[in-house]
Formats: sequence, structure tokens, C-alpha cells
Amino acid sequence: MIVQELREKNVKANAEPDLLKKWALITIALGFLGLFILVPLIAVFSEGLNKGIELYFASLTERDALSAIKLTLLTAAITIPVNTIFGVLAAWSITKFNFRGKNILITLIDIPFAVSPVIAGLVFVLLFGSRGVLGPFLEANDIKIIFAVPGIILATIFVTFPFVVRELLPIMEEQGTEEEQAAITLGASGWQMFFRVTLPNIKWGLLYGVILCNARAMGEFGAVSVVSGHIRGLTNTIPLHVEILYNEYNFTAAFAAASLLALLAILTLILKSVVEWKTKKH
Amino acid sequence: MGITIKDVSKAFGNFPAVNNVNLEIPTGDFVALLGPSGSGKTTLLRLIAGLEGLDTGGIFFNDKDYTYKTIKERNVGFVFQNYALFKHMTIFDNIAFGLKVRPRKTRPSKKEIADKVNELLKLVQLEQLANRYPSQLSGGQRQRIALARALAVEPEVLLLDEPFGALDAKVRQELRHWLREIHQRLNITTIFVTHDQEEALEMADTVVVMNQGKIEQIGSPEEVYQKPANAFVYSFLGRVNEFRDTEASAAISYIRPHEIVLRKISQGNSILSEVSHIHIIGSTVRVELRRQDTGALFEAEMSIEQYQNMTPIKRGDILFAEFKNIIVFDHHLENKLDHGGKIGIRNSLKSKLI
Repeated sequence: MIVQELREKNVKANAEPDLLKKWALITIALGFLGLFILVPLIAVFSEGLNKGIELYFASLTERDALSAIKLTLLTAAITIPVNTIFGVLAAWSITKFNFRGKNILITLIDIPFAVSPVIAGLVFVLLFGSRGVLGPFLEANDIKIIFAVPGIILATIFVTFPFVVRELLPIMEEQGTEEEQAAITLGASGWQMFFRVTLPNIKWGLLYGVILCNARAMGEFGAVSVVSGHIRGLTNTIPLHVEILYNEYNFTAAFAAASLLALLAILTLILKSVVEWKTKKH
Repeated sequence: MGITIKDVSKAFGNFPAVNNVNLEIPTGDFVALLGPSGSGKTTLLRLIAGLEGLDTGGIFFNDKDYTYKTIKERNVGFVFQNYALFKHMTIFDNIAFGLKVRPRKTRPSKKEIADKVNELLKLVQLEQLANRYPSQLSGGQRQRIALARALAVEPEVLLLDEPFGALDAKVRQELRHWLREIHQRLNITTIFVTHDQEEALEMADTVVVMNQGKIEQIGSPEEVYQKPANAFVYSFLGRVNEFRDTEASAAISYIRPHEIVLRKISQGNSILSEVSHIHIIGSTVRVELRRQDTGALFEAEMSIEQYQNMTPIKRGDILFAEFKNIIVFDHHLENKLDHGGKIGIRNSLKSKLI
């Protein structure tokens, strides 16, 4: 009896400081997040809306803003399918085959994450710019890549390439090739195998990668800024549009446009949580 | 479907997984490919299925050259070691898969597919599980579903890779009987890979013993056990004592533990030995002994009845061991003796003493 009482006391004595530590840590973590993430997020919306809702919408429907939104959507609409298809292909070849140079390929895939986006942009300028390697050829054939939409799309594809592959690699690695082989021995064709066996197995990971890829494609600033040339109504994406407005002290319009990106971020997070929840349930 | 394997070799990099193998399997045979890991048995199975491409040689189904036929054209049923059931499909859909992926012209109607699946579920005695997912099944149930799925496409050859490897002893025993029954009922040529000699001897009509990419012996379970072709087959097929003569030739003598008779009183040609351990394992008793003359350790085995009928023995007792059936293989086979040390008793024995 006494022993048990003593033990209970001990547990209590130990538990109280633990509880204190726990809540102290949680408070610090939450406080930090609130200060650095939540407050700025609220600031974006309040700045955008502080001159009234009419001005907010006016600055979003103005010609240059609309064109920036359109270009951003166009960029995402091309980047995502391209990176999804090539991402699946790359992940497939890395996980299902053995070949020389596999590790080099994995390293190459990580390069867009490793280098600064500005450098990525510069690489394209050096390749396709008028003084670049392919510049004379492009000029001779009247193809514009730098300071034009193709350059923006290329830079975005480069920067966002790793998202889908990186998401798929561990999943496909874990699954191995046995289910695929089973499908083939049962008489499935290559496409049937992919769509009926491989894709259902990787779909949540793939969707997760696509969501992250989309968020980055729409929000990319550095690389796009280098190759775009900032031509209003032509080569401005939303992030570039925000910068221009801000530099012109047009704060309301700048924050209104920025709030679009913030909304996108929130939407991405919600989708991400849903997908994560679904994956876990699987 | 009869299968002929002719001079088949397959290497992975510099490692010869299957090395110039010849094998003839008649229609309806039930064959075990038996060998230690790395002996090439699974590779040979995958070569037959077309899951691996061979380097040299040919594979013939009913004397027709199938060497370069695709997996699909071979019409084999393959059961994978870890079953490879489609996780995202119900059991019903798993079994129906092979029928559903057929081109429209040869695809059965929905009703026909459902009938076929139900028939197979009945065959594997799991009708009640049609709407479950693989993750909700036990290992033994998954194994049976994997077999039903392979049988759905009506293969002419059934290939199973370590079919019972991942199951516990009791389930394994049940499934062995059950698979034999299914083979008898359907009479499909069946080849299975195993590293378990008991499984091979118990189930197969023909046992193919493999080692280091080569076939060591082909024969009925009785043949390979009673008349092993060489030292490797002998030691792989059961527990064995091994006595090495270090002085003269490098000949090695072998005897199975159950072929040693222990007595308290000398009788005939016996060797004085000291009991160092007694293990009672269910119905058998294994006695570890040390020879008084050479110091070599060896093992004798008897049934629990024999053990109970003899005068009680204990550790430290000196007994007379009679070696009833010593086998000596030629020296040149010695280097094949790499079977992972079934029993690590290697010591010198003067051959004149036997």
C-alpha cells in the first residue's frame, strides 16, 4: 500500500514539470508560427482590404492584373502536366530498372532544389538570350524565349521539376515491381498495368506532388524574374506584378494581388491535409 | 504442358545465377526446385515464366520453342513469394483481373467473369472473402487468393516461388496438403521453388536439387534421399554428421543422426562416446556426443519411444555408438559442400576405425 502511494506521488511529482515543459514548448512553437506566419498573412489581407472592398476588386480586375493572373494560370497549366508526366517517367525508371548512372540521375533531379532560382533563371538567359549560346540561331529564326512567355514557362518547369519525382520515389521504391509483374503474368498490357495497378498505388503521392508543384509554379519569383523582362501586360506573372506595384508605392493593389497568392497557399495547405489524411487512411 | 529446358544459362553481372541447366518436365508433373539461397532456383523459375531473359540456351513448351515468347504468350500462372496481390482491389477484383484485361474479343461477359471468380473462390475455400481487401486477410488466405488469381487465366503451367515461405508452421502444413489436392484435381504441370527439403520431399513427384546455378540431381523424393548423387545432395536433404580425415586422402565420411545406434554395452563395431547434451524435441530426441578416440562431436537421433525404452542416459555417460550406414563420397565433390553448415561438426576420423 505504502509503496503504491509513494509511487503515485512520484508519478505526480514527475508529471507536473513534464506538463509544464510540454505546454511551454507548445506555446513557444505556436507563438513563433503566429508571429512569423499568421501575422504577415493577416497583414496581407488587411492591407489589401483597408481601402475598401471595391478598390480591392478593382485592383484585381484591372488590365495588367488580369493579364498577370492569366499568365500565371497559363504557366501552371503547362508546367504541371509536363512535370507530372516526366516526373512519373523519371520515378518509374529510377525505381523499376537498374542501370548505370542511376545515382547521377537522382542527383540531377535535386539540382533545381539545390541551386538558387536566380541562377536557374540566369542559365536560361545564358542559353537562349541574345548573347547566349543559342541566341543567334533563335534570332535568325525569329523565336523569342527570353523576355517572353516561353522563357517564363521553361524557368518554371526547371524550378518545379523535383516536386513530383521526389514525392513518388519513396512510394514507388517501397512498392517494388512485384504487383506490376503479377499484372503482366496475368496478361495485362503495359498500359493496362500502368493504369490499373501502378497509378492506383501511387495516386495520392502523385496528387500531393502535383499540389506542391502547382503552388511553387504559381508563386515562383526568382527564376521567372530573371527571364521575364517585366513587360507589363505581357510577361508579368502575379509575383512579378506584386513587386512592380509595391515599388510604385501602390500598396493596396500590391497587397490585393499578394492576397491571391496567399489564398492559393491556404488552399494548397487544405488540399495537402486532405490528401495526407486520405493517404494515411489508405 | 511439358517443359524442356536446354543448356540454359543466365548471369547477373559476373554472377552466374543459372549455369548450363538441362531439365525435362513431363506434362502434369509436380516438381520441386530445391536448393539453398543463391542456388539459382528462383531465377530458373523466372526464366520459365519469361520474367527474366536468358543469356544462352532454349526453353521449349511441348517441344515448341518458347525461348523468346513474351510472358503473355507463355500462358503461365505465377504465384509470387510475397503474393503480390493488388492492394487497392478487392479479392474479387484481384481474381478477376486476368479476365478483365483481355481484349474485348476474347473477354468473357461480366456474368461469366463473376461465375468463374466464384468458382475459384470455392476451390480455395474462401467464398466469404470476395469483398475484402488483401490487407484484411491472413498470410495463408492471401496465399490461396494469389493461387486463385493465377488459376483464373487457366494457365497450362503453374509456377510458385517459395509458396509457403512466409507462413507459420501449422498453416504451411495445411497448405501443403491443400496444394497437392489442387494439383491432383486440375493436373496442371506445377513447379515450385523451395529451400525446405521437407517440403520438397513431402509434396513433389520430382525433386530437382540445385546448387550454385547447377542441377545436382533429379529424381523422385525417395531416389534423392536414398541414393544421393553426391555429398551436397546428401547433406542438403537432411541432418548429417560429417567426419573429415585430415591425414590421408581428403575423403569425407557422412552419416545421418538416425543411423547411429547408442548402447550402454559394447556390441559389434562400436565407438566409445561421451554424452554432452540431450535435446528432447517433441517426438524425437537428439543426443550430442563426443568420440573418445578422436574428440569429434556428432549427433545421434532416436524416437522418444526408443529413448524411453533404453536405460536412462544423462550428460557425461559413456556410450557405445554404432555407425550403421557410413557414406563416403569422392574427393572431387568436396568443394561443392557449401550448404551453410547444416551441422557444423567437422573433425577427423581415422577411416580404419569405421
